[in-house]
Amino acid sequence: MSLATKSFEIFCGTGGVGKTTLATARALNLSQQGLRVLLITIDPAKRLKDILGLTSESVGEVTEVSLQGTKLDALLMSPEKTILRMAAQNKSPDLASNRIVQILSRPYGGMNEILSLIELQLRFESQRYDVIVLDTPPGAHFLDFLEGIGKIRSFFDQSFVEIFSYLGQKTAKAGKKVLGLGLINRIVSGGVKKLLGYLQSVTGAEFIDDFVEAVQIIYQSKDVFLKGLALQDRLKSRTQCNWFLVTSVEQGKAQEAIDLKGHASHFIHQDHFLVLNKCLEQELTEWFPGDPKLIKVKASLEGKERHLKGRLRDAFPTVLEFPEIISLSPVEHIQYLTQKWKTYAT
Amino acid sequence: MSALPRRLYIFTGKGGVGKTTLSKAFVRELSQKGHDAVYLTFRNQALGADHQGNFETSKSGIREVFLDLEECARGYIEKRLNTKLVSSWIVKTPFFRAIINMVPGFSYLIYLGKILEMGKDNPKLIVVLDAPASGHALTMVEATSNFRQIFNTGIISEDTTKMLSRLNDPEYTKMHVISLPSMMSWQEAIELRSGLTERTPVSVDITVNNCLFQLLEGHMDELPVGLKDKALNEKKLVEDNQSQMQCVLPHSLGLDSASVERDLVGSLSNLI
Repeated sequence: MSLATKSFEIFCGTGGVGKTTLATARALNLSQQGLRVLLITIDPAKRLKDILGLTSESVGEVTEVSLQGTKLDALLMSPEKTILRMAAQNKSPDLASNRIVQILSRPYGGMNEILSLIELQLRFESQRYDVIVLDTPPGAHFLDFLEGIGKIRSFFDQSFVEIFSYLGQKTAKAGKKVLGLGLINRIVSGGVKKLLGYLQSVTGAEFIDDFVEAVQIIYQSKDVFLKGLALQDRLKSRTQCNWFLVTSVEQGKAQEAIDLKGHASHFIHQDHFLVLNKCLEQELTEWFPGDPKLIKVKASLEGKERHLKGRLRDAFPTVLEFPEIISLSPVEHIQYLTQKWKTYAT
Repeated sequence: MSALPRRLYIFTGKGGVGKTTLSKAFVRELSQKGHDAVYLTFRNQALGADHQGNFETSKSGIREVFLDLEECARGYIEKRLNTKLVSSWIVKTPFFRAIINMVPGFSYLIYLGKILEMGKDNPKLIVVLDAPASGHALTMVEATSNFRQIFNTGIISEDTTKMLSRLNDPEYTKMHVISLPSMMSWQEAIELRSGLTERTPVSVDITVNNCLFQLLEGHMDELPVGLKDKALNEKKLVEDNQSQMQCVLPHSLGLDSASVERDLVGSLSNLI
């Protein structure tokens, strides 16, 4: 098994499986190897923030954290902060002050996935890290994350160049605030004009003004959005990225993990690992209950776990098992998992 | 206690806590009580090649509806513009697709609109929504008010205002956060519940699913260490937080989700 160090390590999975905890342990494991590590996580549980000593002020900013003597940088995604950085980098303050962009970049405005791609690329470009570990949002939404690249591309697709560049010229000439219905009516692009016309009949003119302005501002910042595209090839490259699909015995969802892999097949290369958390098997095989009820419980737990492992081993080249840990404190828990990663990093 | 069920039940929680199985079992239980209940979930999060249409089946003995984003968007536009032709064209335009796909909250708005419309068309219908997990549930709950602010005026803004009045009506909507009986899952459920209650006035209850300890009660000393720890931790968690748990469900010995689902039927009346 090869668990070589790459520039990126992506953790994805079904949620509630300890994905963030495992990603954190992996980041610590890499850091202990002497690497400069950044851990990016979206919407982590408060518990993890507490373990890492992250406060609400650190949201959206890279913060050095330390766990039992091991240091690493961590970033809790904040769409708002990412937008501010994009605006600064692109010298387009309008991006951060547009009303629609502001509403959508609220913590749960839904832009987390796409913006985390851009953040990932910006951090990579900073060349400050040997490895960036990304903990993606749970479940099928990890696909949103992957598809984010395609979405950004289609948003700036050639078919819009006409309307956007027209709008761009218009603003360059007229200054910012002249946009409005008059402008819409003059847009040459027939399809878009018609569409906006229909839209106006249900949204009112005011929205169209705001909307056109938002689209235009986003378009002016397109270079920084399109940076996300450069990431695609890196994530697809076996030499640059490790993929970890995480699931847990508790969930018993082999099919979901296999489906995730299937949907992501055009991204995920040979170096992908199925991480199976919360395994009970080792303990169960050494248990010989006498009570008939307990025999049933054992058979149920063991049967479910074996069935799951069988299916996963058929579908994935490598399955990394992590045991269920109950009795340890959260910090000890992470330490234990970090040790376990060490045994896999041959 | 209100005897009448709500019209919309939203089941959320981290992935893998049993949302799908539980919401299907809940529909089964409601149906057995004589209610016109339907299990509902979203087929896709983006507009594109996988357009499959809305899909309904009752093969498993309950009504299951799978909503398709493109079909729901098209239906709404058709209703508002009064033309099927134009609505089909709009949802196919790359421009419309790109916008919807860049902004996931928009898809939730479209789906929720469709659910409320189904509820209006059939005043007896009870929708049990197998909703997106955690953070995405917050995005979904926030979407309607975010878009009302974005649109500000016009028909869509009026429609979102009407949507909010129903979604935020405690007599209409109820939410269930599902958790596993582990400290980590429980804390996340508590966080999710407070995130939800910040965004909606409807009641949000937590159900703890898949508890082993009830099965093992009386046999604690016959268990291997890890399993015993697990059971004792579960028990302590439940005892310490019982007042905040709407429902505590035992682990099912069923080996597949269909038998687990059937096992649950009959123990879910607390969720109504």
